[in-house]
Amino acid sequence: MMLLESVSAMDFIGTKFADFLTYTGFANVEWANVIMIAVGAFFIWLAIAKDFEPLLLIPIGLGIILGNIPFKDAGLEIGLYEDHSVLNIFYQGVRQGWYPPLVFLGIGAMTDFSALIANPKLMLIGAAAQFGIFGAYMVALALGFEPNQAAGIAIIGGADGPTAIFLASKLCPNLMGAIAVCAYSYMALVPVIQPSIMKLLTTKEQRKIKMKPSRQVSQTEKMLFPIVGLLITTFIVPSGLPLLGMLFFGNLLKESTKTTRLAKTAGSALNDIIVMLLGLTVGCSTQASEFLTWNTVFIFIIGACAFVVATASGVMFVHFMNLFLPKGQKINPLIGNAGVSAVPMAARISHQEGLKADSRNYLLMHAMGPNVAGVIGSAVAAGVMLGFLS
Amino acid sequence: MKKLLSIVSLLVASTAVFAQGARDLKLNEVYVYSPVCSDSSQNASYVDEYGQPASWIEIENTSYSTHNIRNCFLTINPAVLDESLSAPEREKLMSEIPAGDPRTSLSAKQRITFFADGNVNRGTLHLNFNLPVGEPFTVYLFDGNAVDLLDSIRVEALPAGSSYARIDGTEWEVVAEDKVTPNAPNQILKNKKIQEFKEKDPYGIAMTLMCMGVVFLCLILLFVFFHIFGWAMNRASMLARVRAIRAVHNQASKVVEMAKQGTTETKGIDMETYTAVIGLALHEYFGGTHDLESGVLTIQQAHTTWADKSHELRVLPPHHQAVELKK
Repeated sequence: MMLLESVSAMDFIGTKFADFLTYTGFANVEWANVIMIAVGAFFIWLAIAKDFEPLLLIPIGLGIILGNIPFKDAGLEIGLYEDHSVLNIFYQGVRQGWYPPLVFLGIGAMTDFSALIANPKLMLIGAAAQFGIFGAYMVALALGFEPNQAAGIAIIGGADGPTAIFLASKLCPNLMGAIAVCAYSYMALVPVIQPSIMKLLTTKEQRKIKMKPSRQVSQTEKMLFPIVGLLITTFIVPSGLPLLGMLFFGNLLKESTKTTRLAKTAGSALNDIIVMLLGLTVGCSTQASEFLTWNTVFIFIIGACAFVVATASGVMFVHFMNLFLPKGQKINPLIGNAGVSAVPMAARISHQEGLKADSRNYLLMHAMGPNVAGVIGSAVAAGVMLGFLS
Repeated sequence: MKKLLSIVSLLVASTAVFAQGARDLKLNEVYVYSPVCSDSSQNASYVDEYGQPASWIEIENTSYSTHNIRNCFLTINPAVLDESLSAPEREKLMSEIPAGDPRTSLSAKQRITFFADGNVNRGTLHLNFNLPVGEPFTVYLFDGNAVDLLDSIRVEALPAGSSYARIDGTEWEVVAEDKVTPNAPNQILKNKKIQEFKEKDPYGIAMTLMCMGVVFLCLILLFVFFHIFGWAMNRASMLARVRAIRAVHNQASKVVEMAKQGTTETKGIDMETYTAVIGLALHEYFGGTHDLESGVLTIQQAHTTWADKSHELRVLPPHHQAVELKK
């Protein structure tokens, strides 16, 4: 009797254990998952060992690993794409486009537009760099994407992760994971992509051009900028309201001098929380089954083209502007790359390349002008495309 | 005062929001049921909760936000247009949409159909009037105050089985029997914009030109504004500095004048006061208020033997050696 009972107990344990094994990652793993986990680990390595934008790549890298842990689809409400799962709740911020405007709020609260206000002609460089977006749009159309998908992919050229997520969530939600990862990956790779293009398009003498220090900007001008900026841009492009509204709101919090506490929260704690959730969920959204497709490959190729065109058009536009500027007021073409809105990475690249050409040439503050103009420019471009295609 | 202002602005804002919301409610389709003609019609199969076919009026929330249609009024009685009538008098001439039913809350682009069967006791979706068969009439949709007309449409005598529907948002037309769509969109919606771009701009050139144009326009406007504003600010600050310098100059010259007078006649004022005033003026002149400066730093070189280049030479040039020998 005892023997029979122990045999049935062993059977029970064996059955349950075998059942448990079917739930493990080892039982459900596919090669695609392994590849994606390796990609996630590579991102984390890049962030830690190479210091490539760790604030972005660590959450995204871990998110990629998290999203590719294989499990049995048994309605446990654990996966990113399963309704009511915790990850799914976090993912709604990406899916519904809540995170990007909140990130813009933080950017606005952290950004000092003084360089732009002091030398407003630098705004035009920020506009010119948006050619990257539309160059990519043409390439995407040529590769057979629909106009709405092409627009979602092309916005990668703005080098602005939140804007890319915002537009993709509205125009082509099915491609959003690939677009977001591509945008953030290339943003992290700005130090790798941009310098060679900048060197290729400039001579040694041009790289040594020293720019006059900017004038002092009054507090009145700083306070007026977000209000005027908001009115001008959103009256022309109301579809950019969520991004531009939050950007200028954040900046007004900072510059009003009366809401320092709010600006501090928006620029630090709130922004950090959103960046963490955004990075993690964007990474998670790259589940192998959704991500490892030819579309993703095309998106990465188009993204690379977009970054190259954006950088080149910024630099070339500075050359064009220099044709009309008097001798003492020429602009160093190295700040042209900063027209893309990867703030402040692109401006930092301008500065570093400037120092390489002349160890006493400090371009950071000059490059911040087109850099923040690029943020406005890419948000406007996204708004225009949303208006045309939604 | 501040509180009053904020209350007033809040009230104004809330009124605007309400008005905007109510105006988004539009009459969308009207169907007249005739027992004689329509029993064989396929549209007679659209029935109320009691399985009875009836005439109906469809209302659409044309906006992208949720609006509740409760307490709005529907009528076909033209007497409500008489402006001399008070709100309670108008209400008696209309059928009120009851509150307390979640179906009256219309989300974005949602529609609701009311049965015009003259029997409000049948529920929220029933009106207290019938639609006349074979005669023209006008349907009026009034806001909750029974005064503001939100929408109205004149319906001519309709062929049996057909309805009168709003197509493309504005145009109304008689819809054939097989295209009557209670509680559904009046036409199949496609994203025309994407199709148009696909057909007319296959290479993306038009999109590039238009979008870049808008991006440049926005940033050029910002550039122009801040260029002019920056210039004005510079000018204003320079004028302020000039004014300050002039004031100090005037003050200093007056004080000097007073001091000169003080040496001869102090008129009872202590000389120390004059000295203090002169001291303050000079302090402001040299320290507190700056004059206009070029912003260029220059160092006036003064030649001393300490800075003599010859001290840095290990071998003196021939000309120098000759001078040394002569010495």
